[in-house]
Amino acid sequence: MGKTAELLPGTLDMLILKAVSLKPLHGYGVLQRIRQISRDALEIPQGSLYPALYRLEHHDLIAAEWGQSENNRRAKYYSLTAAGRRRLRDETASWNRLASAIAAALNTTPEEV
Amino acid sequence: MFKRWLSLFRVLTRRRDFEDGMSEELRFHVEQYVDELVRSGMSPERAARLARMEFGSLATVKEDCREQRGLHLFDEFRRELNYAARLLRKTPGFTATALLTLAVCLGANLTIFAVIDSVLLRPLPFPAPDRLVTIFNTYPKAGVERDGSSLTNYYERRGHISAFTSLSISSYGTEIIGEPGSTEREQTMRVSPDFFATLGLGPVIGRTFTEEETTSQTDHVAILSDTFSRQRFTADPHVIGRQIRVNSVPRTVIGVLPPAFRFLSSDARVFLPLASRLEDRTPAQRHSGGNVIQMIARLRSDATLAQAQSEIDTQNAALEVDDPQAKMIADAGFRSLVVSLHADHVAAIRPTLLLLQAGAIALLLIGAVNLVNLLLVRASGRVKELAVRQALGASRGYVVSEVVVETTLLTLAGGLLGLAVGVGGIHLLRALGADHLPLGSRIAFDMRLALVSLVTAIVMGIVFAVPVAWFNLRRHLGNALQSESRGGTSGRATQFLRHGFIVSQIALAFTLLAGAGLLGLSLQRAMAVSPGFQSDHILTGQILLPWADYSERARLAFIEKLMDNVGHLPGVLSAGVVNNVPFSGHSGKSAATVAGHVLRPGESARGHYSYGVAGDYFRAMGFSLRSGRFLTAEDSHRSERVCVVDEDFARYYWPNASAIGQRLWDGSEAGKDAEAFTVVGVVSSAKQAGLTEEEAQGAIYYPYAFRVGDSFFVAARTSLPPESLGLTLQKVVRQIDPNIPVNDLRSMDTRIADSLVTRRSPALLAGLFSGIALLLTAIGTYGVLSYAVAQRRREIGLRMALGAQQAQIRGQFFYLSLRLLSAGTTLGIIGAWLTGRAMQAVLFHVPALSLSIFAGATCVMALVSLVACLLPSQRAARISPMEALAEE
Repeated sequence: MGKTAELLPGTLDMLILKAVSLKPLHGYGVLQRIRQISRDALEIPQGSLYPALYRLEHHDLIAAEWGQSENNRRAKYYSLTAAGRRRLRDETASWNRLASAIAAALNTTPEEV
Repeated sequence: MFKRWLSLFRVLTRRRDFEDGMSEELRFHVEQYVDELVRSGMSPERAARLARMEFGSLATVKEDCREQRGLHLFDEFRRELNYAARLLRKTPGFTATALLTLAVCLGANLTIFAVIDSVLLRPLPFPAPDRLVTIFNTYPKAGVERDGSSLTNYYERRGHISAFTSLSISSYGTEIIGEPGSTEREQTMRVSPDFFATLGLGPVIGRTFTEEETTSQTDHVAILSDTFSRQRFTADPHVIGRQIRVNSVPRTVIGVLPPAFRFLSSDARVFLPLASRLEDRTPAQRHSGGNVIQMIARLRSDATLAQAQSEIDTQNAALEVDDPQAKMIADAGFRSLVVSLHADHVAAIRPTLLLLQAGAIALLLIGAVNLVNLLLVRASGRVKELAVRQALGASRGYVVSEVVVETTLLTLAGGLLGLAVGVGGIHLLRALGADHLPLGSRIAFDMRLALVSLVTAIVMGIVFAVPVAWFNLRRHLGNALQSESRGGTSGRATQFLRHGFIVSQIALAFTLLAGAGLLGLSLQRAMAVSPGFQSDHILTGQILLPWADYSERARLAFIEKLMDNVGHLPGVLSAGVVNNVPFSGHSGKSAATVAGHVLRPGESARGHYSYGVAGDYFRAMGFSLRSGRFLTAEDSHRSERVCVVDEDFARYYWPNASAIGQRLWDGSEAGKDAEAFTVVGVVSSAKQAGLTEEEAQGAIYYPYAFRVGDSFFVAARTSLPPESLGLTLQKVVRQIDPNIPVNDLRSMDTRIADSLVTRRSPALLAGLFSGIALLLTAIGTYGVLSYAVAQRRREIGLRMALGAQQAQIRGQFFYLSLRLLSAGTTLGIIGAWLTGRAMQAVLFHVPALSLSIFAGATCVMALVSLVACLLPSQRAARISPMEALAEE
């Protein structure tokens, strides 16, 4: 396991939306997928995953459905709703803006001032 | 937002599924993690421990999930609900008292409101019902307040009053319907062609009447109500064109009304054209309404009542110009009044209903004050507990919400019980004759009423919570914790509040008691009025003879035969016939012209009760003969016209002379000499319309042959209980003609009792209300005094230890209750006086300030308060100083 980064506040929702946007996932799958797509850089505290999922479902950004897991167990699968897709798009755009602004700010050299 | 609520609602309704699903999901997660750890080479035990550690507390995660799903508020609410329910269960005495109080008070209000709602509030069942008005003629100075409208009025006004879009007339009647051998008497209405158009609701099958069908040669058509068509024609869709016999004459069915059709309080199921002769529509007949025909109209949507009234006034003035009787009509104060149809129909009962609702609200206030007082007493028993909890961090919001949940739970439960009481109350009201009220048949318990009372209950719960929450929050934490007793001392302000509540309770109960007393006294005064004849042992019933089968001669023959047969029945002492018995519910007046009587300036021609009598009517009814003789059967056959008048009539026209031998004409003009009736007797005056009838209107009795009408009443004086002869009388009539039924069979005493129902039932209800109010006041006083005694146990114990006598202690509490009583009674007397003034309209010969009622109410109130304070002060006096001082 490589070096993991602390999750910034407010980013967990965004990551969950991204994770389930690729393919419907159960809760444990969401955890694995985030680890995978962040190349093991992000570790989600397991206890806060489910409250986040329930909050997103409550706000109708993701929808839940019972299905069969890979090992034939009953599991609850989450998928993105239309509202969730819109939210993900907006959040991604605003995150990218913020990230590039911060990167630009942090990379400023004395000559550029 | 809406979707979120919907999904929350789904989760709430399937809470078990939600919880199970959540558990399963979390278990699945942990197991997957354990599997993964084991696969990476960890021992299962270590893996399980690690997984649990990393996941954290399952309960915390679940609680977080619930909160995110918006469920925590409901969980908290449920916890508070459980807590409140537990508290209420712990004090069963208080809870039972509170629930019972609420159930009775809310139930009483619901019951009365059900009547108010159906009679006063719910609009009439027609489109735009607020545009419907009624127009009637009034001649106040002639003693005729209401004379309906005449046919002439109708034909003169129709189409000429621009404030109306439609104007029509109708009259109520009863007709014998059906084939010979299976006839039934039915309520009917005769209506003008535009009647249904005015109402905005007409036949759903077929058509309405036409202008051509308003003469007696062409009126052989009928419109049926839905129920009638169902019963008689089993809802035959081809009922149009079929025949139905009305008073033996066949008529063609031309229309069927919608199922809900009902005109005001009428039970009419058959509607006939209001046919008339052309000579009945002439100006000479303009003032011959006789309270038979009701005129209704629909106001144009932009017209006002005042506009319509002024148009009618203008037209009346224009028409009266060439009326030969104009002077007399004007002297009589003639006007045609335009009033709202609904308001006019319920005008008589409105003040009584409002009064009863006010009584019920007063009862509710007493109950509410009682409950708040009990709640405050209860709260002060928990001061310490609350102080501890607040010290431990319970927020103010939490303290308030806890109180609100508790009081609302209480009032809601009480409200539900109140629904049951209300349903029972509505049944009780039916037994008391509520469905005979105008529009009373609409009285029913429905969802609207249930909703109103539950909302009231919730609002009450919130209102109750205010003083209790205030009390809970205003206590200084430190004070309560330091004070040595479990309950803490009560501050001056709360004590003042409690005593103020008791005083207001006594005042309200006193007002209710005095109001009920006034109603009772008024009823008693009304019952004490003599009807003017001996009303016991008289059986009366109405008989209608169809004109088609019975000519005038045949009618007289029928009556003669009937009198002969009834007179010989065993148990019948004497029998007679009259157009209209007293207390029949119908009483028309008509004019008479007395020979030699010149109208004094300002005096107008008067309406008198004018009846035809046959058989031995006066003896059967127990009239007393003041002078002269009664009419006999021979008087109908003699060429010489004679009549009998009553004392009021004789006194009015011949105050200083004998009435015997005086002459008068039936009608508003002196006729030929040969048509004059000679007075041959004077009889006692009888109340015709009701015992509380004030105006001495005067009555004239003609031999029946001169006053033949559609129907007549039989009156038989019996030696047996009169009701027992009802069947025999019906049999006798059917022996003469099997198609003729006897209707409205009642003893005279029953008629009189029935006529008082609008006085008796309110008096009974008010009595019931004030009884409950007294009980509640007693409970309230008792509760507060008991509490005061319990609070001051130590003080009393100390004083007794220092030598105070039992009598002194008892006297102290006695004095307190006396002070509360006198303050409450003083306010109550003011309230009772105001109530009495407001009640004048429904009182009979009772002043607003009745000393006997006030004295009586004061005595009852004093008795109740003293009994209520007896037990607590006795308890105070028996406190043992040793025990009281040793406590805590």
